[in-house]
Amino acid sequence: MSRRDFFRASGLVAAGAVGGPALLGGLTKARAATPAAPAWESKFSACDMCFNKCGLIAQVEDGVIKKLDPNPKFLKSRGMLCARGNAGLAQVYDPDRLKHPLLRKGERGEGKWQRIPWDEAIDMAAQKMEETRKKYTPCGHLFSAGSDLHSQFVGRFAEVYGSFNVTSHESLCLVSGNRAFLDTYGEVPFPDVLNSKYIVMAGANRFEALVTPDSIDLMTAMREHGCKLVTLDPRYTKTASLSDEWYPIKPGTDMAFMLAVAHVIIGEKLYDPQWIEEKTYGIEQLTEHVRQYTPGFAAEECGIPAEAIARIARELAAAAPASMIYPGRRTSDYEDSTQIRRAFAIVNGLLGNWDRPGGLLAARAVGLKGVPYDAPWYDENQEDRIDADKVPMMFEHEGSFLVTRDSVLADDPYPVRGWFIYKTNPMGTAPNRRKTIEMMNKMDFVTVVDIAMSDTAWYADLVLPSQSYLERLDPCSGLQGSVACACVVKRDPIIDPLYESRSCFDIMKDIAGRMDLGEYFDFTIEEFRKKQTREIPEALEVMDRDGVYYNPSKVYGIYEGRIYKTLSKKIELYNQRYEQMGLDPLPIYTPPTKVPKNQFRLVLGRNAMITQSSTTNNALLHQFIPSNTLWLNPDAALSLGIKDGDLVEVSSSVGRQELRAEVTKKIRKDTVFMLSGFNTLSTMQSLSHGNGASINEVLEDDYDAVTGNASMHTTFVTVTRKVA
Amino acid sequence: MAQQLAMVIDAAKCIDCKGCVAACKVANDVPTGQWRNWIKPTVEEVPIPGLLKSKPKFQPGACMHCENPTCVDACPTGATYKDKETGEVVINNALCIGCGNCIPSCPYDARFRNEVTRKADKCNYCPERRAAGLPPACVDTCPTKARVFGDINDPESAAGILYRKNKDRLTRISARTDTKPNMFYVGDPGHGDWGGEAVVPASMVAMKQSAPLIKGIVGLSGLGVLAMLGRQLLVGSDAEHKEDSDA
Repeated sequence: MSRRDFFRASGLVAAGAVGGPALLGGLTKARAATPAAPAWESKFSACDMCFNKCGLIAQVEDGVIKKLDPNPKFLKSRGMLCARGNAGLAQVYDPDRLKHPLLRKGERGEGKWQRIPWDEAIDMAAQKMEETRKKYTPCGHLFSAGSDLHSQFVGRFAEVYGSFNVTSHESLCLVSGNRAFLDTYGEVPFPDVLNSKYIVMAGANRFEALVTPDSIDLMTAMREHGCKLVTLDPRYTKTASLSDEWYPIKPGTDMAFMLAVAHVIIGEKLYDPQWIEEKTYGIEQLTEHVRQYTPGFAAEECGIPAEAIARIARELAAAAPASMIYPGRRTSDYEDSTQIRRAFAIVNGLLGNWDRPGGLLAARAVGLKGVPYDAPWYDENQEDRIDADKVPMMFEHEGSFLVTRDSVLADDPYPVRGWFIYKTNPMGTAPNRRKTIEMMNKMDFVTVVDIAMSDTAWYADLVLPSQSYLERLDPCSGLQGSVACACVVKRDPIIDPLYESRSCFDIMKDIAGRMDLGEYFDFTIEEFRKKQTREIPEALEVMDRDGVYYNPSKVYGIYEGRIYKTLSKKIELYNQRYEQMGLDPLPIYTPPTKVPKNQFRLVLGRNAMITQSSTTNNALLHQFIPSNTLWLNPDAALSLGIKDGDLVEVSSSVGRQELRAEVTKKIRKDTVFMLSGFNTLSTMQSLSHGNGASINEVLEDDYDAVTGNASMHTTFVTVTRKVA
Repeated sequence: MAQQLAMVIDAAKCIDCKGCVAACKVANDVPTGQWRNWIKPTVEEVPIPGLLKSKPKFQPGACMHCENPTCVDACPTGATYKDKETGEVVINNALCIGCGNCIPSCPYDARFRNEVTRKADKCNYCPERRAAGLPPACVDTCPTKARVFGDINDPESAAGILYRKNKDRLTRISARTDTKPNMFYVGDPGHGDWGGEAVVPASMVAMKQSAPLIKGIVGLSGLGVLAMLGRQLLVGSDAEHKEDSDA
């Protein structure tokens, strides 16, 4: 219903008033008059409960946020707000929030803290950072920042401080998929789900792991445009259950499926020869390469009937170019993740869907500009990042957390002894938690800026309370969502900051000021925004009015007459650069390691109430997801003597955890699953501490050979019933 | 024609994200562990891999503001009534004594006793929000807009349009007591076997059906109870209410 419709309806409601039964006539009428509209003040913002930044309207009364509503004008999120978005209040008003700077008093992880004043905290952070720089060179300090609009200031700080060592959360998430598509198309695409007629989803769970606008558009495409959805997932997820077809694919065999699809499309000449000729490079090599990967071969590997694979390939091709292999985000899966996702990218290449309706879209112009600065040069410094040259194609600005961690532990090639962390929680998100603890213990001084006492903060030396997204002034951010929009958002404070919280920018600015680096932070956020929007000067005003600014840039046909940013200047089915680097130029299928007898492959996944480790302590969301369970197939449970609800121990080569078993047919016999974010070490996360099991305590820390992306699906676990 | 506020729901669009449930809890200050609305999953066997039967798997619901609301019959004070102008089933908080009669009388389990207010509680289509020109919280926030709300008698409202367009295939939850709920599902609503039977105290039914004189007496007694309630609120004692918690 549109707002205008609604005004009409509500007008009628008001006019009709509320009648009430005759018997109590007058009294009822007087008592139950139409409720007055709340004395709300509506303020625009953008959600920060996950990375999507959905537009919202905060309803504020007397300086208190009463409700967060979707901004109907915000196209990227299609005018909606999910459960997490609604639970933003519970994050801001969480009694467990950090309230003032804390200095560690006892051992790391012991939980003894002393409250200190901000001045002292800033002095200490600056002094310790100076010491680290002097003693270990600027690269002796590591900086880690999560996905946040202030994170760029951490990157800026690291650069002016002189450290190349900056890691983001992304190497624990999606970089191998980005690598694969970047190395095929020259850029990372946005799937045009809304206009697609046929979607194969593998390694993504879009109805539970919400991504705007894809999750919403997928339903619209299916329900209103007749789009067909085929899901491959070892779990019967909500996405699987809402699909037209679902196959519980054997984990680690997606590449075999994709190569067989390519085999059928090429073998039956189902592609558009002109398009392939004009736009792609390497069809001959690919044709030769996929000859061996027949549907029959893939059927053996994947456990999906050969006829189904061939039929899906034909249906995909028939719907092309408005069909796709959904790129997905769960690429942190195997040690050949980049190559697995290259197979996805190649099938899309054969479908000819690049830059066309219902296919994969190129990035649109948003209009924001960077704010450049000249960082000082430090003669006494290391030559490169600590994780450099350990994998061939890491993303410099994201780094590889796992490679960095191993390098820090080994002092290879140099020591790192300082760590500054903002709004990311590697203790809670990186596999093999014990190693992260070891890494913490290696540090001379760790500073964490966050709104909550995450496990990472729990092991730090200095913990600084930051402002939530509804309390602070943020720089502008450019967003893109499929065909929905290329837009700009900003955040202004909705309420006064609670407690002694400060924004990360202010903290950086203060620390820089005490380190003679003040000139690099010599501006306000407002001034920064002006510089960002210098080519779209109307944007700031439009955002004040609508909560969002749209750039009317082109959606389709961006690549008409344009060359691709690859070596061949075409879509590289066959990757020449990989060949030069000694990597497989075409993805070569290697079967996943067989699940050892009496063990299970542990897989991870998301649901709509969980953002990694940051929402399990949210009082509202906790009512939906009070704990995590271990999904276990009934046949496996029977052979282990485990009943639904039993306490079980899950152990791998790196750790063990206990949680309740959920015996369900929604998972393959050889696979188990649990949600992330539970059983925090930090007792200051009262709902998630000691509750359920921590998945990262159990996950082993293998990584993708090309990008250093964590491979989270390579851990085998033993499950035993816990005898009370 | 008077209005009939209603929800028209396309259950096949629901992705069970719980956005509507979270929004409702915040908008209406619903106490921890209690719910005014819900999404019921279809309890189903995991299918044989391959083609799936295209059936709704998740069914959004809440108070259905019925045509024949059994909860109204069960209410001794007239606190619960069907608004003639809007078609809503309303709880007048000032008259509700928290007796709990209405709770089993709802075949859809839409009512509960609010642990904080100790009165009957259920979906009220967010009147404060509507007064401010906003849709009910659940409808506003729903990602796939599976929930559509409005006056189905208004052919131009979004709900009215959807209602008319699907007139031939609109379905209601089939409960053992058919109260003619004003929650319409487009096509298959998903599993529909959860609607129970209205349990209304016989005395209440008798009273409601007898002469207006008796109704008057009921009304007066309601006033008396109201006075008692007022006194109770003034005196205020937690201990006295302990026995309420299992209701």
